[in-house]
Amino acid sequence: MTFIYVGYFNCKKMLSIRQYAQRFISNKIFNTNNSNYLPSIQQRSFNWFKEDDENDSKGFLKYNKTIFPPQKPGEPKRPGYVCHVKKNIKYSPLKMWYVACFIRGMSVDEAVKQLSFLKKKGAAIAKDTILEAQRMAVEEHNIEFKSNLWVAESFATKALVYKGIRRHARGRYGIIHYRYCHYFVRLEEGKPPKHYYQPAPKTGEEWLQEWMEQMRNRKIYNSL
Amino acid sequence: MMSTYRNVICIYGKYMQSNLPLMLGRINYPVSNDNFQQVRNIKKHWNQKYRKARAQKVIKVKLPKFDENESPADAFRSKLKEAGILPQRDWTERPVFISSTPSIFERYIVPEGDGKFSPLTTTGIKQKFEVLEKKSKSFMALRKIKMFEDNYTAEKFRDHLSDIYKKAHEALCRKDKDEILQYVTETVYPLLIHNVENKTLIWKFVESLEPPRIVHARVTNIVTKHNEYAQVTVRFHTKQLLCIYDRFGRVILGSETVKKDVLDYIVFEKHLANEYGTWRIHGKIIPDWMKPEEVPTFTYSLLKKQEELSSSDSDVQSVAKVVPPETLDKQHTT
Repeated sequence: MTFIYVGYFNCKKMLSIRQYAQRFISNKIFNTNNSNYLPSIQQRSFNWFKEDDENDSKGFLKYNKTIFPPQKPGEPKRPGYVCHVKKNIKYSPLKMWYVACFIRGMSVDEAVKQLSFLKKKGAAIAKDTILEAQRMAVEEHNIEFKSNLWVAESFATKALVYKGIRRHARGRYGIIHYRYCHYFVRLEEGKPPKHYYQPAPKTGEEWLQEWMEQMRNRKIYNSL
Repeated sequence: MMSTYRNVICIYGKYMQSNLPLMLGRINYPVSNDNFQQVRNIKKHWNQKYRKARAQKVIKVKLPKFDENESPADAFRSKLKEAGILPQRDWTERPVFISSTPSIFERYIVPEGDGKFSPLTTTGIKQKFEVLEKKSKSFMALRKIKMFEDNYTAEKFRDHLSDIYKKAHEALCRKDKDEILQYVTETVYPLLIHNVENKTLIWKFVESLEPPRIVHARVTNIVTKHNEYAQVTVRFHTKQLLCIYDRFGRVILGSETVKKDVLDYIVFEKHLANEYGTWRIHGKIIPDWMKPEEVPTFTYSLLKKQEELSSSDSDVQSVAKVVPPETLDKQHTT
């Protein structure tokens, strides 16, 4: 058990240090008149020879690593996205499910606003995760406006379940499940779709078209 | 007569059950400071004296805590403390890396406005002479280098170096970490690879405007007399193409059609004492007089003033200050 969570801390810590370093350095490195920043990058060279983080190369976060082919000048701008995970939350996945479903298909600002009024522990966690993902999107994934994002995916899965024992009368016992969960979120660039869960309701024109199509395609038996 | 004994408000954990009549009862309204959530299903005895007895029914399990923001070192220390073991002394050793030097020694000083004047003007001629003056020390160094190179000819040597220059860039575009290290020293490797992850680089070498020229050479020994390193500065005046795309294939900088003239002073290094040492890129000389390069521009939000920050404490208010949605409708033009 010790090893598992030491590793977990380790990766979490390292990522944050790297993020901070990049935030401070990236703009100034190209400044030709100031070479003070070069040694600080060199000092971190140790990290460059390491293998990629195991957590990033598999699972949900690996989608943050996919690199899309360059776009041609005429093509419409490809929407960016960012995936984020909060792992091992001491909260039941059964309860987290409600929170996760609740914010699907909302814009980021709307989701954050709604979650801040939802009186649940899961809401606070989801809000935290979304804000973190939003920050990542702007700082690391070249997404221009932080408000121009919507919650494309949001789901919670089961993590560890610890079993505890409780006493009952007459020498019987009961089992208590202490549940943990993972919370996953993917923010996509652009505006949220009007109809997230179901396809858009058809207009009269569309219904007519469909009916016409159906009529034309029907087969009349024993005809020519 | 149960009602006389009954506590009207039963609080259990963060749940609260109010048995007050409806008119007197509080309205369950979301107030940010309030932790209690009103429920109707608390099936606990109202008298607190049974609380202890209830607690005894449950056997405590030690649950792992994942949300502690403790550093791994601290976590390990507290684990040892718990077990009552004295921590071991750290094994400290300082790794020394000897296949490349950590810096450029006796940097070449680039004449001001190099590459901007034609050799026909007075400034251009002056620069030519300046280059010649400084060469005596470089000649000595080059002579030393020749001793370690098989079949050394000036032309072959220059071609070899420019080949390394190209291959290093191509390997960088492919992001082949092992290949990059064949053409680049470990000192400059982190600088080269900094900020290129998640990006697509397109780099093409179009043509050489002037033949590459060795402007500076130095040989130094480190620690022992025979442990020699050679550094050679080469001037490349070339035409190149550079385009950088972000993770989603959108252009950040440059273009795939616009060629640009590039003047580079590249320092190559070789560990002469190593029989299998190769020439590798060791750095780039950026003169002080040069203007800052073209840097990709990113949109960023302005920092709020201190007063504004203090006035809006809650998150809800900060959410309201966002980019107006109508501005987002505009088509992105590159």
